[in-house]
Amino acid sequence: MQKLLFILLLPAALLAHLNIAVTYPYIGALTRAVGGDHVTTVVLAKGNWDPHFVVPRPSLIAKMRRADALIMNGGQLEIGWLPPLIRRGNNPKVNPSAPTFLNLAQGIELINKPSEVDRANGDIHPAGNPHFHLDPHNIPLLAKQIALFLASIDAEHKSIYEKNLENFNAEWGKNLERWTRVMAPKQGMKVVQFHDNLAYFNKAFGLINIATIEPLPGIPPSPRHTLDVIGKIRAEHPCCILHDVYHSTKTAEYIRDKTGIRVILMPHDIGALESVDSLTALFDYLTKALTDD
Amino acid sequence: MQKTFISLPLFCALLFADAATILPVEKRTFEQSKFIPDISLILDASYVTRNKTDDEIAHYEIPGVAHGIMGAHAHDGHSHATYNAYNGFNLNYGELVLSSSVDPYFTLDGTFHFSENGVEIEEAYFTSTALPYGLRLRGGKLLSNFGRLNSQHHHYWDFGDMPLVYQAFLGDHGINEKGVQLQWVAPTETYLMFGGEVLQGENEMMFGTASIADPTATDPDAAPLAESADAPALFVAYAKTAVDIGETTVMPGISYARGTSRLDHFEDETPHAFSGMSSLYGADLTVKHYFDSYSFLTWQSEWMMRDMKGTQYAQPDANTTTSVSLRKEQAGYYTQLVYAYNMNWRTGVRYDNIYQNDVTKNGTAQEMENSFERISAMVEYHPSEFSRFRLQYNHNMALYNEDGDRQSVDTIMLQANIAIGAHAAHDF
Repeated sequence: MQKLLFILLLPAALLAHLNIAVTYPYIGALTRAVGGDHVTTVVLAKGNWDPHFVVPRPSLIAKMRRADALIMNGGQLEIGWLPPLIRRGNNPKVNPSAPTFLNLAQGIELINKPSEVDRANGDIHPAGNPHFHLDPHNIPLLAKQIALFLASIDAEHKSIYEKNLENFNAEWGKNLERWTRVMAPKQGMKVVQFHDNLAYFNKAFGLINIATIEPLPGIPPSPRHTLDVIGKIRAEHPCCILHDVYHSTKTAEYIRDKTGIRVILMPHDIGALESVDSLTALFDYLTKALTDD
Repeated sequence: MQKTFISLPLFCALLFADAATILPVEKRTFEQSKFIPDISLILDASYVTRNKTDDEIAHYEIPGVAHGIMGAHAHDGHSHATYNAYNGFNLNYGELVLSSSVDPYFTLDGTFHFSENGVEIEEAYFTSTALPYGLRLRGGKLLSNFGRLNSQHHHYWDFGDMPLVYQAFLGDHGINEKGVQLQWVAPTETYLMFGGEVLQGENEMMFGTASIADPTATDPDAAPLAESADAPALFVAYAKTAVDIGETTVMPGISYARGTSRLDHFEDETPHAFSGMSSLYGADLTVKHYFDSYSFLTWQSEWMMRDMKGTQYAQPDANTTTSVSLRKEQAGYYTQLVYAYNMNWRTGVRYDNIYQNDVTKNGTAQEMENSFERISAMVEYHPSEFSRFRLQYNHNMALYNEDGDRQSVDTIMLQANIAIGAHAAHDF
């Protein structure tokens, strides 16, 4: 019966189709999950690239031009590349002041907010660490924001978005339980990273980041700092280096050769590795990488 | 006595006054600091060493095309200097940039160029943010979107100096004018942008509107050699597109500018002036390939051709002004390859050539030199996103001295470009 109703409603649904531009693949997945058949999602950034350094290609301007709404991560993660696209898209619907613009960071409590905002401390994010989607507990909060947002710009399908959100949360809750279970023994485990982009993941599962390979955010590794990291690894015995997919692993490999520490490649978003094709697959991969001994 | 009368009540007032509580910034009733626009300051300084003295350089020219394009020169009673003009240390500029939303409908941007010669409003324009149908309107003083490089600020260039063809045809600031710009982005899958500009027309090398007075005229009411032109006098149009092929972006563009020329150089070393109409045609192609988030290879080329038609005036001696009908058809290009190895290192080479220099006086073609070349190479070190040090070498074979002898100018420059504040992200 539901199916029949769906087929009958299909033409109307097509008319109300929303073309939503989103900055990162994970937002695309959430928007698709909540928006269902009523939205088309256009993802601007690639999942295997550094989210801080997305290239503002002119082809993305064409995407901004045709968007009915824009959803971004926020927390200044897009500050280096999104403003020129907004400026050149010539589309009032993607302006930050428009009701068709959503900044997800506004609905999330950001951690690691720097007490001192000074570029002498590297390329810091004054609002806090913006990689919040890597805490699986934050995903339902993000999905909820997107559902409210879609309902606000497309009131006609409000109930559908609510229903989709409910289904998504039910599924996510089961997964979250599973990830919490398998990660439980890893509480208190020490890790090293290249850049602290797993801060939220680590917090969620009680992992402790003792060092980053880059001396300061956005500042490439220096020989002196590398020696410091090696010293720290020898003193504190972290389990592994959790490395992103977009920085060169050269320094990490050097540290591995000196200390015998494992280097684990950790995807940060959908598409960061070919096998990571959904949000569930992303956290499956991350938790499995840490529990596969 | 008077002082006592005044100070006594003051003293009493202070004695009984409650000390005003200094509230934290966020609680002050009329506090507006949250509305402060984004502010940034960019410093550009260089150390230059050349095989020619500053005095020699200032007199060099590209015959029939441009003069005074290197070094410092005086014009209209104040002195100009190109970037990296002098042997030794140069403070090219401190650039102050302010930018913010005005209201729901506009943003305002201002770029102020502080140099040792004074302050210039490099750009100051409002931009619409609420126009429908992919339209955007900009007005004020702005860098034209003609070609690829013209709208980019100096600190964003891949080399420390302008391509020869830009510098020779348009001067150091390119087309930087008062006026309005309207751009339209087509609602297509592929990026496609059309733009048009109506500008005042006051470029130092190609366009101008002011009347040209006869320097030999003794009667102050004498008719000028050329009447002033109706302003706005410069019109620019362009089309740009971009196609992605995997990790490679191909960006072609075509541009056209046309305006009146009133160029008065009667106060120069060789007094002359020009009055007429000029057209500038441009074609550009940029191909950028990304290897990963930080490493890329860019091939960027621009071709420009100008056609100037009118009357040239000269002053062979103190009492005579001569005129000839003049046509200049001149064309050139630059092509450059830049490779970014990672976030820290970049290197590049550039080749410049002005290859056409057809000058016709009173219907007679002039025998002019027609191959003006320069090669450049650079290597850059970026300690972070906000600082850059660049070592550049130029071998310039385009310049001639007063005797008409070709000069070979070798330049080595070490340039520092440092930015602080809320610096806006750059376009592709």
